Amino acid sequence: MLKQDAFSRYHPAVNFLFFLCAIAFGVVIQHPAYMLAGCLGAALYYVLLKGAKGLKALLGMLPVAVVLTCINPLFNTGGSHVLFTLFGRPYTLEALFYGMIIAGMFLVMMLWFGCYNQVLTSDKFTSLFGNLIPSLSLLLVMVLRLIPNFMRKTKQIIGARNCIGKGVNDQNTRKEKINDGMTILSALTDWALEGSVVTADSMRARGYGTAKRSSFQLYTMTMADWVLFTLIAGLSACVVFAGGTSAAFTPELEISPISWGFFAYCILLLIPTALQIKEAITWHILRSKI
Amino acid sequence: MKKSTIFSILCIVLFIPATLYLGTTLPGRWYYLTSTLIIIETMIPFFLVFESRKPQARELVTIAVMAAIAAVSRMAFAFIPHFKPITAIIMITGMAFGAQAGFLTGTIAAFASNFAFGQGPWTPWQMMAYGMGGFLAGLVFYRRKLTKNPLHNAIIRAVFGFFCIMVGVGPLLDASTIFTTGSVISWSFVGSILLSGLPVNLTHGVACFLTLLLFSNPLLDKLDRIKTKYGMMEAGNRGI
Repeated sequence: MLKQDAFSRYHPAVNFLFFLCAIAFGVVIQHPAYMLAGCLGAALYYVLLKGAKGLKALLGMLPVAVVLTCINPLFNTGGSHVLFTLFGRPYTLEALFYGMIIAGMFLVMMLWFGCYNQVLTSDKFTSLFGNLIPSLSLLLVMVLRLIPNFMRKTKQIIGARNCIGKGVNDQNTRKEKINDGMTILSALTDWALEGSVVTADSMRARGYGTAKRSSFQLYTMTMADWVLFTLIAGLSACVVFAGGTSAAFTPELEISPISWGFFAYCILLLIPTALQIKEAITWHILRSKI
Repeated sequence: MKKSTIFSILCIVLFIPATLYLGTTLPGRWYYLTSTLIIIETMIPFFLVFESRKPQARELVTIAVMAAIAAVSRMAFAFIPHFKPITAIIMITGMAFGAQAGFLTGTIAAFASNFAFGQGPWTPWQMMAYGMGGFLAGLVFYRRKLTKNPLHNAIIRAVFGFFCIMVGVGPLLDASTIFTTGSVISWSFVGSILLSGLPVNLTHGVACFLTLLLFSNPLLDKLDRIKTKYGMMEAGNRGI
């Protein structure tokens, strides 16, 4: 099986635009139908991306959503249908509905961000913004490289301290553990800062700062990328301009009827999933021909 | 005027009020998007100043190293649960290299470590909170002579760090929860979120207090030594 799914193989700009639109609509539109569509669309792609592990994580989020639903009426007391009173405050049906929407927003956000982490990896992010913010993205690339490097070094320092009998374990007191941590951090800092000077001098010797930095571009916009980019942008514009997304819960339930914008929203949400399914089918057909 | 200065001013006088206005007038639930956009718009001027200054290699590498140390510092304390010295390291960077370096170290450390822990709706808030910690520490302590007694200095820094987290960094981190899960922003709701975040903030604050108390003197000495030995972070005008 391929390591990346069909949607991840598109240009980072396409991926970024999709997540931008999906997350923004997910947190802004309160309409129950949109919310439900958002939850289903996000959950579908999330499970497709992460498999059984994703399903487990999804089930783990559900209790949080239930809690979010139930606590909303405790703080929001607006609404006309009082279910019961708690601590002298009304617990209303409308607020409970509103709580469901909030929980839905939470789910949509967590699921889309889960997909985002898988699709838009750090190399894609820096290649996307490398030209716009050259110094900052260079900084980011350096930090991303240094973190695993420093982790290895920290392990070495801990190992070396264990060898000379200076390591700590669970029997040591809290004070000893903190002192040990400080010593490790101190040693790491010393080593890292001396190294940083070497790196900086090496960069300077190779001519850093003398000319505009060019960046290696792994990704180029192909025709298919442009088509998908336009499609996502067009569908998002449809959702914005079609209207019919307003919904109010307190003091009274006021939900506007859905317009054709809703279908645009559904198509938008299903893009990554559809691409993946299309690819699976093509693969199946190709294999059955052999 | 430089292009970046104009854009920064534009950002503050035009974009932030515009975001606030649109966020309150358009239909829909704009709490999270409006607040996050404002957070991002506040960070943009800092980034632009850094970007337009064309930072030198030594400055760039030092900030990268400090941000990476802040991100992995948690590992050195793996034996003590919840002990996260990340904010303290960022604050020390601010104290040694100035407010701007502190801000950048904080934001980059938060952003980069989230590639491992997962980006989420909290990312801009974390960047802002940690950046603010470094910025404030730099503003208060950079190039400032405190008392002659190093222990007193460490205590002053530690107390500052503790209050900075309890009043600034901690509530800013909780604010992302307020704006993502609240249907109405009322005092009782904000109060209960802040109250439920108090134990976490307290551990965070105590960790910062201890790290600054025990670690700020030796680490600041080290950074000062590097600064004088290699002329780092002050070499901008000499082109090093």
